[in-house]
Amino acid sequence: MYFGRNARPPTVAALFFVVTGFGVRAQDAPLVYRDIETKYIFGFTEGSGVGLEGEKEFSVDTVLNFGKQGGRYWRSESKLEYEFTPNQYVQFELGPMIATHSIKGVTDLDDRDQVNFSGFFGEIRWLVLERGPSSPLSITLSAEPEWHHIDETGGARVTNFGLEMKVDADLELIKNRLYLGSNLLYEPEATRDPDGIGAGWGQESTGGISAALAYRITPPIIIGTEAWYLRHYDGAWFNTFTGDAVYIGPTLYMQLSPKTFISAAWNVQVWGRDVDAIGSLNLSEFSRQRAKLKAAVEF
Amino acid sequence: MPRIAVVATLLVPLVVALLGAGPQIHAQQKPAMINITVKNHQFQPAEVQAPANVAITLRVRNLDPGRMEFESVSLRVEKVVAGNSEGTIQLRPLSPGRYDFYDDFNQETNGVLVVR
Repeated sequence: MYFGRNARPPTVAALFFVVTGFGVRAQDAPLVYRDIETKYIFGFTEGSGVGLEGEKEFSVDTVLNFGKQGGRYWRSESKLEYEFTPNQYVQFELGPMIATHSIKGVTDLDDRDQVNFSGFFGEIRWLVLERGPSSPLSITLSAEPEWHHIDETGGARVTNFGLEMKVDADLELIKNRLYLGSNLLYEPEATRDPDGIGAGWGQESTGGISAALAYRITPPIIIGTEAWYLRHYDGAWFNTFTGDAVYIGPTLYMQLSPKTFISAAWNVQVWGRDVDAIGSLNLSEFSRQRAKLKAAVEF
Repeated sequence: MPRIAVVATLLVPLVVALLGAGPQIHAQQKPAMINITVKNHQFQPAEVQAPANVAITLRVRNLDPGRMEFESVSLRVEKVVAGNSEGTIQLRPLSPGRYDFYDDFNQETNGVLVVR
């Protein structure tokens, strides 16, 4: 669809009001800021929410990475998630993953254009500290085992196992309006013969910390910003440091109806270091940009 | 022992423990019983009270012909109750404070649980 230069702002504004129903509600009733689930309001940073007991959800959660050294690089991975909360403390997720790779002329990666079923994942989340009327802090521990048969970065066929473990914390700064979120990440991975030379299992690990701020501008819409610091190592236990990177970017969460929502984030690498290269970015282990889009329906 | 068997041996008890996490901690205490009625899309009473640090059993009677969904983010529960029927919800022991709830199918239907 083409929007003329003059038509674009009103059109976008109209779409905004139609999608959110904001204009109608603003006239009919006072805005009500109810408690909100914080899990998806911080972008790549996950909030501490574990859902509501009895809640089930299906979602498509896509992460895009683009920009590498020396050529064209674009990849995505979509999780087709089924999520359920059996009690008031624990949440489970599981599902298959689909990956796309479009790579041309990137240093150390083969050229390819492909779409594949890439693996399976599961996740257990356990609420260890709950928010309450007298405590604004909430903390959840999560563990996400993954199996990939397509390499996440390069798209080659591999056998890869990973375990993403996180501490998800968030703090309610202003009741039902302003939230501060933070994640601590540790993710060891093992890939069978990653270079195709019969060298056995190659191990690596990633550690990270994030900080995110999310503000609810209207009851269904939350905007924010986040920053991530990521470190990459050879070896599963942070053995040999190979590089790090800092990402920052905006986030958006929008409740479309009582049972549907979308969340989005876009991060840009603003600083990076590769122990084997000179430069102000680390494009060998991390992409120049990354984005996330999640669309979910509860039932 | 094969690697997968080792992993399963470790994971299965963990998953079983997590499925029963939380509520069992106070299972020996007798839960408080609270009754709420929904009629003409209104909670009756709209404000209910409960003791702190005791498990709570909430019985929701829906006297309207259409179904409703009792939902609360702060209580971390949701339950659909069909028209002219009732549903029971088990709540964990709560700290003192106010906990909002509403009908997710009719969001003008609001109530509050006051825990003292």
